[in-house]
Amino acid sequence: MTNYSRRTVLKFAAAGAASTVLTPTMLMAQGNGWPERPLNMVVPFATGGYNDRLARAFIPFLQEELGQPLSVANRPGAGTQLGNTYFLQQPNDGYTLKCNSVAPYIPLTILLQDAPYSAEDFQMINLPSRDFTLAAAPGDTDLESMEEVISRLRQDPRSLSLGVQPASADYLNLMLMLDAAGIDSSEIRLVTYDGGGPARNAAAGGHVDVAFVGGEGFLPLIDRIKPLMAFSDNRVDVYPDTMSSGELSESIGEEVESVEGSQRGWVVSKAFVDEHPDRYEILVDAIERATKNPECIEALEEQQLATTWYGPEQSQEDYLANFESLERHIDLLRES
Amino acid sequence: MIDLVASSAALQLLASSPDAWLWVIPGLMIGLVFGAMPGISITMAMAIFLPATLYMDFLPAIIFLTSMYTGAGFGGSVPAILMNIPGTSSAVATTFDGYPMARDGRHNEAMGVALTSSVFGMLLSYSVLFLVISPLADIVLGIGPLEMLVIALWGILLLGSLAGKHMTRGILAGIFGLILGTVGMNTAGYMRGTMGVPWLLDGIPVVPAMMGLLAASQLFNLVNSNFLVEDESKRGINAGKIFYGFRLAFKHPIVILRGSFIGVFIGAIPGVGSSISNLLSYAYTKRGDDNPETFGEGNPKGVVAAESANSSSEGGAMATMLALGIPGGGATAILLAAFAMHNIVGGPSFIANNQEIVYAILFSNFAQGILLLGVGLGFVFVASSVVRVPLRYLVPTVLSVACFGAYAVDGSMAGPITLFVFSVIGWMMARYGYPVAAVVVGLLLGGLVETQLLRSNQVSGGDFTYLFDRPAAMAIIGVIVFSMAFTAWAKRRRKRRELTAASR
Repeated sequence: MTNYSRRTVLKFAAAGAASTVLTPTMLMAQGNGWPERPLNMVVPFATGGYNDRLARAFIPFLQEELGQPLSVANRPGAGTQLGNTYFLQQPNDGYTLKCNSVAPYIPLTILLQDAPYSAEDFQMINLPSRDFTLAAAPGDTDLESMEEVISRLRQDPRSLSLGVQPASADYLNLMLMLDAAGIDSSEIRLVTYDGGGPARNAAAGGHVDVAFVGGEGFLPLIDRIKPLMAFSDNRVDVYPDTMSSGELSESIGEEVESVEGSQRGWVVSKAFVDEHPDRYEILVDAIERATKNPECIEALEEQQLATTWYGPEQSQEDYLANFESLERHIDLLRES
Repeated sequence: MIDLVASSAALQLLASSPDAWLWVIPGLMIGLVFGAMPGISITMAMAIFLPATLYMDFLPAIIFLTSMYTGAGFGGSVPAILMNIPGTSSAVATTFDGYPMARDGRHNEAMGVALTSSVFGMLLSYSVLFLVISPLADIVLGIGPLEMLVIALWGILLLGSLAGKHMTRGILAGIFGLILGTVGMNTAGYMRGTMGVPWLLDGIPVVPAMMGLLAASQLFNLVNSNFLVEDESKRGINAGKIFYGFRLAFKHPIVILRGSFIGVFIGAIPGVGSSISNLLSYAYTKRGDDNPETFGEGNPKGVVAAESANSSSEGGAMATMLALGIPGGGATAILLAAFAMHNIVGGPSFIANNQEIVYAILFSNFAQGILLLGVGLGFVFVASSVVRVPLRYLVPTVLSVACFGAYAVDGSMAGPITLFVFSVIGWMMARYGYPVAAVVVGLLLGGLVETQLLRSNQVSGGDFTYLFDRPAAMAIIGVIVFSMAFTAWAKRRRKRRELTAASR
């Protein structure tokens, strides 16, 4: 019989333990080193909304690039404030990402709800989905154009009922337009809705004369509405026959300012970027490759989800610009 | 109207892939289990299984997901009957008589009655849908704030029938509930009663609050009993009695038909329909009955009324989704996403372009309803065994499950905290003879009434003659007035009959 000393046994045991612990890590280190364990994707909305669908559709392709599974954590509530707070409370190790409608929700929670974070706490990686406010009337309306809406409101501000979500970019766009046209916004007949969906249904069902809501969500209802104007400097691709607010500026001779209705996409925390620039690079690369993956583009387009790659610099710039314009007009928003 | 060509194309489509039917049974079972777990919504279950359907063909994927939806429609009634926990807000009225029946040892009958009424309501709603899917969708879109307000007020009127012995305490409890329902940010953007707590911005979390009020307050009352059913001889699980429940449901044809029709039309309203329809159906059954005092004590008619109305609203929600591409709730949003994954985009053009698919979905739902009768029977059989578990194990287990469920609603501690606070409120109210159910109804309807009242005011510009431009709203008011008058008349007639019977 061979006699093993206690020390030898311990050595073997240690080696065995070490090999079980280290082998998988070493194998992965040969791949890309980080991430070493599954990641989380926080979605500050309930299941079934745009962000939830975007995250769940995109994740299979991002997993492929990162070599680790990702799971969705829905943290809805308080206009994304609860989800954002939760997200910032996670360790700054890059294992938690976020998929969010950053605009207008991050600015609005900060400006109107005193949320305990600032705009600079977030770093955008890519914001593929952009939306604009669309002014739309019911399909059987007698309104011919946006100019007619303006002239009727100038004559009598209470002649038309206007549906909108309060404290939203759509509301701000409406106020900016009324301001430019010289219509007293305290006199108008405003009908407030809790979300884009109900406001769109109100237009399609003929309950309001004109609704101001994000334009892409209107596409399935296109047969039942009459688009009047897109709040954008130039005409938008999805409504090529609809006038833009830029054109309205020319026809009424006053500059009609507009803000982007929503910006949605992939976000990390600024603290993480400062602490782990190397990991941040890995994430940016992975998201870029997944976004440009033809299979991913096909899969997302089938579900009417956006896949454009703008990159972190452009996305962050657009996000901060949106924050800045909302902040500039905060008084208009507070009135709602 | 019915398109025979499309119908036969739909049948061919369903017959062409028999393997698609393999997914019905697992789908129903997943739906039943998730639906029966309080706090875990069917939306979550469907979101979890949605990626898996990406690799299936279109028809199996849709059949699988709609089966889950169908199963969950009944799953929520199981804890409502056995533990007084409504899994969803649409099962609230089921607890009123279902739980007393279970405590009385009639859990087998209660489950049988609930299952049959559920399936019947669902089948009827899909039949109605088959006939009028496009017009129904137009009606739903035409429902404006004033109509919603009137329907919600209709719901509030039935607070009176939940009052129990003391009318004043009932009204007080209802008002308390209504006020609680207005906590949070209202539709015009004003915040009330949030006490600076961000979790309250969206209002009091309804599901945990409801579980606390109804379930926890009941569980504390059970501490002195050994079993849910005191009488040992009644504690059995008896297939014969479940089948007896099947027949019992059809002994009240008017109740089941009225419930189903209320479910189809009120339930079709996106978002709010199913939580009002079961209460309306219950209240009307109770008021119109010869012995209204037996309701709340375990009258099977109450279960029939509630269950036929809450499951028939499923078809209504499906109609708005298919015809308009508007998801009535989270679950139908997931279904729309599944359609999109297979290159089918919902919306008004969807019905016109894909009539055979629409009919195929309706037919398969019909078949699922019939299969649910079998699968549900098995499920009920297993679930009923909780009556044999000693309460010293059951009560802590149910409380833990309720806590987990409350946590799962949002994934935050707000749920369990709400559950705890409302358990205490519920227990105190029960202790001092206030009807807890009135608070629940108030909580469900408070926000709705306020929102719709405000919006009606905005749309009309404060002009009361707006009412005369809305024939539908006037018609609903007419129905309310007529039914109240009828109830009063029936009551008087009954009293007179009793008097003559007594004098004889």
